[in-house]
This record gives sequence, C-alpha cells and structure tokens, in this order.
Amino acid sequence: MGSRGGAVAPAVALPRDVAAALAAAVGSAWLLTDPTALHAYACDGLTGWRALPRAVVLPASTDETAAVVTILAAHGIPFVARGAGTGLSGGALPVAEGVVIGLARMRAILRVDLDDERVTAQPGVTNLAVSEAVAALGYRYAPDPSSRQVCTIGGNVAENSGGAHCLKLGFTTHHVVGATLVLADGQVVELGGTALDPAGYDLLGAVVGSEGTLGIVTEVVLRVIPLPPAVRTLVAAFEAIDAAGEAVSAIIAEGVTPAAMELMDRTALSAVEAAVHPGYPSGAAVLLVEVEGPDRRCAEEAEQVIACCRAAGATACRIAAGEGEAARYWRGRRAAFAAMGRISPHYYVQDGVIPRTRLAEVLQAIRRLEEEHGLRVANVFHAGDGNLHPLVCFDGTRPGEAERAEEVATRILDACLAVGGSLTGEHGIGRDKVCQVPKQFTVADQMAMHRLRTAFDPAGLCNPGKLLPTPRLCGEAPGIYRPHPTELRGVADRW
Amino acid sequence: MDLTGLPTVTPTDREAVVRCLREASAAHTRVLVVGGATQLDRGNPAAVDLVLSTRALDRVVAYEPAEMIAVVEAGCTAAALRDLLRPHGQEWPVDADDDATVGGLIATGAAVPRQLGVGPLRDSVLELECVSGDGRAIHTGGRTVKNVSGYGLPRLLVGSLGTLAVIVQAAVKLRPLAGARRTLVAAGGLPVALGWLRSVPLATAILVHGDTAELRLEGWADDVAAQTAWARACAPDAHVGDDAPFPQAAPWSHHPVVAEMSVAPSRLGAVLATAGCDAGGLVGVGAGWAGLEGAAALDRLRRRVESLGGALPVVRGPGGLGGTLPAPAIHRRIKAAFDPAGILAPGRFWGGL
Repeated sequence: MGSRGGAVAPAVALPRDVAAALAAAVGSAWLLTDPTALHAYACDGLTGWRALPRAVVLPASTDETAAVVTILAAHGIPFVARGAGTGLSGGALPVAEGVVIGLARMRAILRVDLDDERVTAQPGVTNLAVSEAVAALGYRYAPDPSSRQVCTIGGNVAENSGGAHCLKLGFTTHHVVGATLVLADGQVVELGGTALDPAGYDLLGAVVGSEGTLGIVTEVVLRVIPLPPAVRTLVAAFEAIDAAGEAVSAIIAEGVTPAAMELMDRTALSAVEAAVHPGYPSGAAVLLVEVEGPDRRCAEEAEQVIACCRAAGATACRIAAGEGEAARYWRGRRAAFAAMGRISPHYYVQDGVIPRTRLAEVLQAIRRLEEEHGLRVANVFHAGDGNLHPLVCFDGTRPGEAERAEEVATRILDACLAVGGSLTGEHGIGRDKVCQVPKQFTVADQMAMHRLRTAFDPAGLCNPGKLLPTPRLCGEAPGIYRPHPTELRGVADRW
Repeated sequence: MDLTGLPTVTPTDREAVVRCLREASAAHTRVLVVGGATQLDRGNPAAVDLVLSTRALDRVVAYEPAEMIAVVEAGCTAAALRDLLRPHGQEWPVDADDDATVGGLIATGAAVPRQLGVGPLRDSVLELECVSGDGRAIHTGGRTVKNVSGYGLPRLLVGSLGTLAVIVQAAVKLRPLAGARRTLVAAGGLPVALGWLRSVPLATAILVHGDTAELRLEGWADDVAAQTAWARACAPDAHVGDDAPFPQAAPWSHHPVVAEMSVAPSRLGAVLATAGCDAGGLVGVGAGWAGLEGAAALDRLRRRVESLGGALPVVRGPGGLGGTLPAPAIHRRIKAAFDPAGILAPGRFWGGL
C-alpha cells in the first residue's frame, strides 16, 4: 500500500454496483472517481508517500457516512477517513485497493453549551473555528496544533493532536468528552457526551489517538475552557542550547507550569528570522515561554521564568510589550517548519519524545549524527514536555541525500528511545513509523493493540496498514508482529 | 464483596502474576485482583475462586523528581507514595485512603475530589505494565507525559475493575504540592457554589452538600489570598480553614449504601435535588456521592441519574453498577481479547462482563 516518491499507483476502478450504491448514498456529485480528482487525495502532509484510492466519497452527515461504510463493508473494501490531510505521519494516506472517505463537507458547529463548557462539532470543523466560535463568549478550545487554521477536529481526534499549549492544558484526549462513531460495519455508536465517567470501558479514550483505525468519528463533543484573564509571552536567548534546556528544567522544578515552553536552535532561528522577522534576541538558542492566569499571578510567573533563565545563563530576556509583539514571537515559532525552505530545499520533519531531563544527551547525539552524515538538523521543540521536532535538512536533487536524511531521522528516534522516550509525541505512527513500532513495543504489546483493533474492526477494513506493522509493509524483520491465521480466529495463541 | 475463606496468592513479581494467570486460565479458576481492599463493593457481585493480592508488589521502580513522574508497582499504597513524594514537594493528586493501592485506584478509576483543579485520575496515568487474563505481560503507554505511540490502552484499563488485566506497575504524572491550602465553608448550597465556579478562577474544588458549600483553594500563598477575596464576594460569612482537610464533611459516608454519581455538570443540581441532603456534588465536574438507606432509594436515584445520561455505581454496600453499556458487542470482544477464558472477576463489570 502506497509507494515512496513520485510513483503513483494506477487506480483500480470500483465495481459498478458499488459505485452506484455510493453515489446513491451521498449524491453522485460527491463520489469522485476521475483520476485527476483523485490525485488531490493521494497523500497527506507526509508527501513522500502516495497512493491513488479507487474513489473518494464525501458524505455530509453521520447517516451518509454510515451508509457509505455499510456499502464498503458489505464488499470488503477498505477505507481511510480524511480530514484536511495535514497529518504528518501518513495517517490519511489512501489504500490503493480502498476508498477515501473525506469529511470536509461536515463542517458545522452543532451546539455551543456553556453551562457544561462544551461544543459539539462535526469532524470537518477546523481546530481554530472551535475557538473562534466561543471566543466572544470568553472561551477557547485548548489544543492548538501549529496547523490549527486548517487542520480539522476529526483529524485531531484521530491523532490525539497536541500543540504548543499542551504543556499546561493537555492534549486532545483531555478535551474530548464524547463522540459519535461509525464503526467499521456501518453501525453508529455514541460514546460519552454527557457524564465524564459513563458506564463501560473507556472506549472514547481508546478511540482518541487511534489514527482512524477503530471507526470514523462523525460528531465530537469538546470541552472548552475560559480564556485566561492575562497572558505574558517572553523570549530568552542563550549562548548554548544546553543552557536553555537547563532553564526549562529549572522552571519546572520551581513549580511553575507555563502554558507553553518552546525552544529553537540556531539553525531553526536562522530560517525563522529570514522568513517572518519575529525579532527574537540573538543567540544560539531561543526559549519562548508563555504564562497565563490571573493578572498578578501571571506577572509573578513571568518574573520566576526570567529568574530561572538568567540563572541558567540567558544573555537576553524580553517580555512582549503587547499583543502585537507576542503574536510576532508566536508567528516565528508557528512558521518554523515552513520557514525551513529558506535554508534548505527539502527537510524531513521528525517527532520524538524524551524524558525532559535527558535533553542535553539527546541533543549531543543529534550533533554527532549531523557530523557523521554531513547534514544539518534544525531543532524545534515543545521543550516543557520533551517533545522534539528535529528537521533534517537535505537536497532531494542530490542522489542519495533523501535516503541519508531519512537515516538521520530514524537514528534520532533511536536516540529518543534509548533514553526511555517515545516514537511520536503528536504526529502519530501512521504509515511513516509503522515499521519502527517493534522498537518500542514487544510482540505481546503489539498483539494486545491488534486485539483491541479487531474488537472494533474484525474485518480489518478501517485504515489498514497504519499504526501497527505487518510483514507486507515491513518485511520479515524480527520482532514484527505477524498473526498466524489461527490466532486471528482466536484458536491459537502466542506468548 | 466478602472474601472470607477464599485462598489468596500474593505474587512478588510480574512473572509470578503471569504464572498465576496462565494456570488460572487453563483451570478456569476465577480470580479477583485485590489491592488495599478499600473498594471491594465497587462492581457487580462476582463469584470467584481465588484472590490475587498485589500487596507484595510494592516497590518504587523509578522516581526522578525533575521528570515529575513516579513509577511504582501496583501494590504501593497511597500513603507510601505520598511519603515518597512529599519531601520533593510533589504529589499524585488522587485523594484516597492510606491503605488504597496505586493499582487499585487506577483499576477502580475512582472520582477525584479535587478533579476540577487537578484533572481526573485517568489523565495522570501514563504507563501501565499489566498481565492480561491469559497471562501475557503487556506494556502500555509510555514513561513520558507526551506520547501518541500506539493506542491509549492505559485509558482502557483505568476503571476496568480488574476484568481485563492485572495492573502490576504504573507510571503516574505528578504535580507540585501546593504551598498554601485552604478550605472555605459557607452556607447557601448550590447558588453559592455556582457563584464560586464563575468568580474564583483557580478553584481546586467546589463541593456542595445540603445547604453547605465548600471551596478548596491550593497554590501560592498570595494567590490563595486573592482567590479568597473573590470567594468572599459570593459568601461574606464563609469560614476559612488554613491547612484544613477537604472536604470538611462527607455526610454521605454515614449511610449503609454510598453511590458515586457522574453526570453532565449542569445536571448536578437536578441529581442532588433527588438524592436528598446526604449527598455531595463536585460543581463544575458533575461527580459526587450519595448516601442512601437501601435498594429503593438507590433505584430511584439511579433512574434519575441514568435518565439524565449519567451513571451511578455503588461504591459501598450492595447495589452494583447499574447502567447499560454502549456498543455492547465491542465491550464483549474487548473482554474476550484480554481475558479469553473469562477468569478475571467474571460479572463484576458493567453489563455483566
């Protein structure tokens, strides 16, 4: 499923009766089968992987989604749900023998209920639109991926998306209180939505972050929180990135929980300064910190943060004088990925997590990899929670360089795992990292996950080939889970 | 649940749990996992043949204060964890009996009185090492606060009442221990409590029982002072207790049956009105407890709570969990996937799983 680079597999046409049934379910205008139209859906934000689906269906409601899934399930045709296609791990990469179910038409905010501090939205609503819908009422939706203007809530639920402000406020899973889920056989179930601890296992907790493998969320109930009374945004520059890392640890140890703590190294800064002129103080590393809360507390925390930065050797600390300056500082951070184009023709975005206290040694490992492979790595991270985003710079026109960049990116993840970290903090496993899953999880761990998956989707039609490795995807590498047919039938077992 | 006369095994490491559950699965021996035995009444009645106690699994595996994560074995008690963390100015903000174990608290997923400020228990569980009913050691989640690798299996295990797997080890997220703690108590019941919810931005908890409202404030001393001033605007006569416990009163606890309610926050008033005066509700959260005299009172309140989309499991005394499962087929398949022989407290969970 899917291939690397520009090669695009030819579409296999849908059987005529299936196409007719799908067209009847959603209206023929919303069933796309023309190859030129399908090309727009061939990849998501992980553009190196492409596959043409057999068709794209664009349902407008839960009922239409359920009807589409029922038809596909009856014919054993796999399907991949897609929001805005901004994901960076290939979670929305089509399956060549399958159909993409695009949720972009389902973009209504259905209810705003401030008595319970909740917003009910369809999956195609953008992340930012949720916050905008309640901003005038003094509320916001907390998780804020950098792509929040375009990424959708449905995609956020699938990926358990994070963002800069997760440090204090938590990830998507902490803010989803209910969902309507179309199961892989077309049945519709409601999970949560009223009480925080409903009867049963926490199926909602399993669905959030399941990368579209347990069903399709067609409605989601989100918790919104009051806007903070006051916010202070500040930046500190350091001569060495390790010193900035020390400042981060000191701030946490002080008992301060900033809303966000973002770190950028010299390479990232050079790109960002060229692209959006955020006006950071100059240094080898810049730490961007935001604190929020009641006015006086906020001012005190800003002072505490500055004291920690100075003690760690900051050469300059600035508190944004107003919203304009704060927005400029944030623009620099949010533009970091896009700005890499200024200094490198291509770059590979990595996403790994480490225990916060191991930052210095992982950064050293990254430096060694840069030297060994002769490639530059820009580091941008959510420093407060140890979530690294190394950007491996390369020139794809030079033979072998893309492969070397991928090798560096993979080795960086190995360094994260070696200190007890994780393969991904917010971008997901998707197709991108599926063959690396055995580095973090044993065969038994993978099997437990596989069993959860088959409890939701016994036929394996829901976004196959993502999240868990299979021999077809990853070859016969040792340790990769490969269920024996008897295991799948529940007849045999392995330990 | 009465465990008198039942044989008990007390494994001292994960491998012993693995062996125990493989044997139990092969022999169809029904097993009840018990930690501090503080929440045995939670769940539907379940006949079992063997008690598996986690009390000998009580080691501290890793604690790096700068990471604000503690990794402990499941039998580590709430008191032992508190004593470990306090010298470093940290806490796992789950208020529990001293004897309750970390594994037991996670398996029961009990409501946290301070949830408004500290979040629900499930949000603090980062990694779980467990052994499934058929004796497979499984590692779920990860030892970092941020992690989206694989399914959120720890969430599935929180509140699973020992019916999917035996939790043998947990990594939990910690928070700084507040420098100042204060409980305000005022007359005025729900209206005062709702006033606090609107006007005290850093409230750690707001509890209403009968005509009494309690406000918990934790944080830096000057914040707590500022919040107190705002709180007094709603309740000028509020009594202020520094370093006082929270809650100050738990009238529900004097009854033979105690049920734990979970409803949408806006429905709390309606539930409390039905529950009578010996019930307490956490405003802004939608959780609470009701003290009841017996089955008739429980049925009446349960019907009310369930009609509002909530749940009302009994946590002490008879009465079980009540409720109906969403997506029952998926629930049954999950149970079968983790416990194929059906030996882990069969029937204890919602829907008789």
